[in-house]
Formats: sequence, structure tokens, C-alpha cells
Amino acid sequence: MQIDLQHRPSQAMAHVVLGPGESVMAESGAMVGMTPNVQIQTGSGGLMKGLKRLFGGESFFRNTFTAEGAPGEVYLAATLPGDLVVLDVGPRSYYLQSHAFVASSTTVDVDTKVGGFKTFFAGEGVFVLRTRGQGKLIAGAFGAIEQVDVRGEYVVDTGHLVAWEDSLQFKITKAADGWIASWLSGEGLVCHFSGHGTLWMQTRNPGEYGEEIGRRLPPRES
Amino acid sequence: MVRGGMNHEIALGPSFAVLKVGLQRGDVLTAEAGSMVSRFPRVKMRTRLNAPPGAGFFGLLGAFLTALVRRAVAGESFMVNDFTCDEGGEVTLAPTFSGTITARKLHHQSILLTRGAFLACTGDLKLTMRWGGLRGLLAREGLFFMEVSGTGELFYTSYGGALEVPVNGTLTVDHGHVVAFDTGLDYRIRLPGGGLMGLFASGVGLVVEFSGRGTVVLQSRNVSTLTGWLLPRLP
Repeated sequence: MQIDLQHRPSQAMAHVVLGPGESVMAESGAMVGMTPNVQIQTGSGGLMKGLKRLFGGESFFRNTFTAEGAPGEVYLAATLPGDLVVLDVGPRSYYLQSHAFVASSTTVDVDTKVGGFKTFFAGEGVFVLRTRGQGKLIAGAFGAIEQVDVRGEYVVDTGHLVAWEDSLQFKITKAADGWIASWLSGEGLVCHFSGHGTLWMQTRNPGEYGEEIGRRLPPRES
Repeated sequence: MVRGGMNHEIALGPSFAVLKVGLQRGDVLTAEAGSMVSRFPRVKMRTRLNAPPGAGFFGLLGAFLTALVRRAVAGESFMVNDFTCDEGGEVTLAPTFSGTITARKLHHQSILLTRGAFLACTGDLKLTMRWGGLRGLLAREGLFFMEVSGTGELFYTSYGGALEVPVNGTLTVDHGHVVAFDTGLDYRIRLPGGGLMGLFASGVGLVVEFSGRGTVVLQSRNVSTLTGWLLPRLP
């Protein structure tokens, strides 16, 4: 599988070239276009896996694109405007913020994990994804992507996380000392990293953006 | 890019810019609540009401009441965070919307910012809320302006790109595109031509009429237009 990223950084799109019989699994709705010999198969990879994804804020179903008989091409894009990053899974494993997943090789296993008890109350980043196996993974960001090589410690707002290497230890904590101060500061929760490894941040916060737009829209009728 | 005072860099622009600021002992960076992306762990954050330091009881009370009104009516944040770091460290900030960040040095000057435009400031700058007029209230657009005055460096954000327009005479612009303007300019918020019908028919929101000499900063996108586009598409 060959991936090249186009139209970076604001409106990035991934051009994926598949060998004959090769597949790529993508988040539902990520497909922009494809060659006619590419077949789409929709599945959840098992009911429990699908449900876990659903709770994590992803889609229940994922689409698998397979090139039949000849090489095939698929164009993939994320929902929000922003950059993409290709991660090489195998030499390293990664954690992803659950909305960051765009696509991966079918040989990469992406599992949904609960990110910690405290995150439950903040409504953001309750679930993180963990990669296993071998292959490529495309992660998407809201905004540009900043890569940080952590040697020691680093603190990131949970709403700005995209992915990080599993060699990093991480702990989700309040942004300020107390709950009230954390709420007033507007920062909510932060992720405290330590150790050696690389992390990727997105320069805009989807939750904050949604809140700001949502406030200007009329309440949903139930 | 280093420009006097605290080291700062506006990176990854123009569509999704961030502001990185290096802090040394004695430096204070005041930032809009919720704007922090990341920081070194040794950078300290203190949250306070958006009132000048040493404002006294009535100053604080005034700021508190203004804050409550702004929170209730406009849903704006009313807290700011002060970042400091005695051992040296870095903090990264980002605005909510897509767009760029502009640095502006003020020297015994003042500038008015519209809702959401303030990102951060350093130095001896005072932040005060200014009443924007009743029409702003009716349109639920910016009810208050933030006046930034004194000497220091201001970082403001725009939805889209930022365009500085010199005014010598009069200039009429859509209210939703205004980011900032010099306090020396007179301004009048009014309906576009044609009264109430004009407001609905023209697709233009309230307009601001500036007069005098000074600079107006406009943004290339408008949040009200975005929400106006979204509205009929909601279930």
C-alpha cells in the first residue's frame, strides 16, 4: 500500500494505491473517490467491536476497500478541515484520540480503550484507540499538526491530542489544581506525558469549536 | 521569529495558526480562557477574573457583574489565565476558529476588539469591557467590545485572514467581519439600508460605520454567515 498526502495542511486528502487483492479499512464516510475495480465491503468487525467504537464516538461500521484483479486507488479525507499524518504501525504502537482514526491497513488492529475514570466527567476523550499488528494508519486532525518529541515531560490539552507513541506514559488530570479552577480556566482536562516518545497535536479543538457553533444554533427539538 | 520582549512565534498559519511563547522568570502571559494547547509541566497557570490587577473591590465587583451579563447574554468567557514560569518554559495557544493570529505592539495606545478576537497579551496592558450598544444586543452579535490599552504586545485572532484597512473619512463594514479598530475612530452600529426589510433581504447583518482617522482590522470570514448556512440544514 502506498499513501501520499495531498492538499496539506488545511484540506488534506490521502491518495491510497492498493496492490491487486490489497485492502484498506476506513472510517465510514471517509471515501472521496476510487477506481472502478475497488470493491467496498461494510462491516463492524464483530458486534462488540462496533459497539465499543460507537461508544467511543466513532461509527459502528467501517468500510473495507479491496482492489480486485489489478492495482486500485482510493482517495480518503477526514470530516473537519485539517492535516493528516501517516503512522507506521509495527515498529511502534500508538494511542489515538478516538476521533483521529481515518483509515488503516487491514493488518492493523485498532482497539477501543477507556482512557481513564476522570475523563468520564469531562465528556471529552473518554475513549482512546490502541494500535496492534503491522501496517499503515492514517490519522486526521482538526487544523495543522504539530509533532513534539518528548524527552522528559509535556502537558497537552486533551482536545488537542491526535496520537502518541505507546512508549510514552500518560495520565489525564485536571488543568488546574481544583475542579472549580479547572472549569473556570476553560482548559478542562489535560494529558500529562512522561518518558521518551513522539506525540502529534492538532492546532484546533473540535469540542470547543462545536460548543461555540452550537451555542449560536437553536436548541434541537426532541 | 523573535520580536522584543518575550520570545514568541506564530506558527502553522495562516489557516490554523498557533502562538508559541517562551517564558522566563518575571514574564507573565495573559491568555483567553481555554486557549491553551500545550505547555511544559513547569509552566504555572493561574485563573482570574478579567479585571486589571489591583482593581480593588468595586473594580472586581464591576468585572464580576459584567462577566455574568456577558456569560448570560453572549455566552462569552469571562476568565483569563496568567501563565508564568520561573525556570523558563514554553506555552502554546490556539483560538477556537480556523484562521490566523496577528501580533500588535501597543505603546500608550488602546484598541477595541470584538467578541472572540482576544487571544493573549504581554506587558503592561489593561483589559476593559466596553458596552457596544443596544443594537448589538438585539442582533445577538458582539454585545461588548474589549478595550486593550497601555504598553505591551497584543495577540488577536481572526476567523480567516486578517486585513488592516486604513480609514480616513468613513468606512462601512459588516459587523461580523470586524476584528479590531483604533479607539480614536468613531463608530455607529446600525441596520443596513432599507430598515428591517433590508436586514433580512440583504443578507448583511448589522453594519458598523467608522469615521475619523485610524485603522480597522477585518476578517475574511464571518461566524454569523457560517451559522446562517448551517441553520436550514439542521434536522
